[in-house]
Amino acid sequence: MLLQLAYRNILRNKRRSLLTVSAMVFSSSMLLLALGVSAGKMGDMLASATEQYHGHLVLSRTGYQPQRDMYAHFAPEDGMIRRILEHPGVRGVSPRLRAFGLLSQDTSTIPVEALGIRPEAEATVTTLQQCIVRGAGFDSSGNGCLLGTGMARKLNVAPGDAIAFVTRGADGSIGNDLLTVKGIFETGNTRNDNQLVLTELPWLQQVTALDSQIHELAIAVRAPMQAAGLARQMRDDFGNDYTLQDWSVFLPEIRDAIIISHVSNSIIMAIFYMATALCIFNTFYMSVMERTREFGVLLALGMRPGQLRAMVLCETLLLGGTAVLAGMALGFCMNWYMQDIGVDLSGHVSPISYGGGTILPRVRAVIEPVRQTGAALMLLLVCPVAGFVPANMAARCVPIKALRGE
Amino acid sequence: MHTSNSLLRALKAMAIMVIMACMTALPQPVRAQGVNLQQLVRQVEEQYNGDSSHITATMHIVTRQWERSITLEGWSLGRELCLTRILEPAKEKGVSTLKADKQVWNYLPKVDRVIKIPPSMMGAPWMGSHITNEDLVKSSHVDLDYALTLEEETADFWRIACTPKTDAAVVWGRIVYTILKDHTIPRDIAYYDDAMVKVRTIRFEDVQHVGDHVLPLRMIVQPSEMPDEQTILQYRTITFDLPLEESFFSLRTLKGK
Repeated sequence: MLLQLAYRNILRNKRRSLLTVSAMVFSSSMLLLALGVSAGKMGDMLASATEQYHGHLVLSRTGYQPQRDMYAHFAPEDGMIRRILEHPGVRGVSPRLRAFGLLSQDTSTIPVEALGIRPEAEATVTTLQQCIVRGAGFDSSGNGCLLGTGMARKLNVAPGDAIAFVTRGADGSIGNDLLTVKGIFETGNTRNDNQLVLTELPWLQQVTALDSQIHELAIAVRAPMQAAGLARQMRDDFGNDYTLQDWSVFLPEIRDAIIISHVSNSIIMAIFYMATALCIFNTFYMSVMERTREFGVLLALGMRPGQLRAMVLCETLLLGGTAVLAGMALGFCMNWYMQDIGVDLSGHVSPISYGGGTILPRVRAVIEPVRQTGAALMLLLVCPVAGFVPANMAARCVPIKALRGE
Repeated sequence: MHTSNSLLRALKAMAIMVIMACMTALPQPVRAQGVNLQQLVRQVEEQYNGDSSHITATMHIVTRQWERSITLEGWSLGRELCLTRILEPAKEKGVSTLKADKQVWNYLPKVDRVIKIPPSMMGAPWMGSHITNEDLVKSSHVDLDYALTLEEETADFWRIACTPKTDAAVVWGRIVYTILKDHTIPRDIAYYDDAMVKVRTIRFEDVQHVGDHVLPLRMIVQPSEMPDEQTILQYRTITFDLPLEESFFSLRTLKGK
């Protein structure tokens, strides 16, 4: 009966109810859009760091990180890669060897980081090979390499050119050989584009005198934000000789940026909730003031104050529930559009490298159903809280005074 | 009268100040108790060079991971020009280093390329040893880039402390030379970083007569943080005052052509 009364009361002043619902729909849909865009920005940044270079998890010999001691290498045990791949949360595994040295062409010499990879395995972890803007990918020659646009510009090389690489061998020798440029990639990340050169794993193993050895296994997971939990689950499989790190360990700036983003999202949510609460409070306060006589009649007919309070609270919930449902529908539609199409700003803004990742010149949203639905449903809690004071005022009416309209 | 006396005193004071300023502005050899420190340090840094020289040497490198020996030969002209070529092991035969105009080039015969060492890599080890590219370029200029003070003098040695001049672009925060008075040869050189932490020591041993020179023929580089690592440079032959021309120290000679 209370629900019926509440429903009837909402419809009695359609214009006021519509205005309140509109404000709440706008508020909740904008909240969802803001959360979606923020998640998109953080997702882009994380993906640029993990999916262009690091991977989400990195398994290496204990002592390799963070100095990257070239002697902390290992030969993957039989079945090690297969065991990792069998884990349901894992998407791909790439064995890598890393060497620091010089790349030289004519009179130009620059210090570089060479990453020896197996191209097909690396493609399951990073997107570097999809960022080629000139030339093609690796072929069967064995001494091919991919390098960034910045490095290609500094060395003045193009696909097909031969460049010399020199590094320190693990046996103390001077490792040096010629590489043929097979492709030039552009990631937007200054570090990758200026300092990184991808070579084939066997070639780098031979130059560094580290046959069959690797420095790390880069792992891609299906849910990057849950990488830390997955790492905890997998850690016991490898023993103390190995260290399994998730991206939040080797990309602390991005982890901090995401924490800061969550804090600012909370502030934005608080502002939206406060604005919605004020809107509801104002509507119901005015409504209660106007309906004093009605409440007097109801009390005189025997309705208890508690029932009256519950009726007003039901009105706020009905109004809020309708608005939140409509707001969620609109908000998810906007997020869906921004996820699929987004806004391209590359004509006006350049990519910004930050903390090992890149802030791309685009506005894109990511739909996070649980988090975003939760944030919208929180508005349902705001409704009765904001409506409690007006509801209480209605419940405290003295029937005789209310009937007089005092 | 009083005014003219005051003026005279002021003029005298000014004249003394000008003379003192001129004296300090003139380049003066750094002397302490009759010892020319600059000359001593320079003598140590140039002991293997002379006006020109040719050497053959064995460099034995010990690290925690590996141990190896390299046989090399080198030529130098003055303190600015130096060329070194690896003779053994066979895998690296012909790898050469040229130091000229405070820059370093390496020639790699396997790929037939000359690589100029960029400034950011000057601190990297030379041929895997505990000697850096920076050492090749800067060590011969210690007497110019550092302010020298006589820290200690005994009957046997001088101890000279070198601190960087304000305008000098140098790596070390302090260098301390211990130079034996007998034949003016170094006993050891200690290198400190900016935080005044000792980074390495070079010890000199096996003092022998080479022609008119008396030289330590063994140089041991000992990094302080890694006591189980060292580089031992043992000179096999040294010939001074060869008829070398500046044109010899070219990229063409570096490539062995």
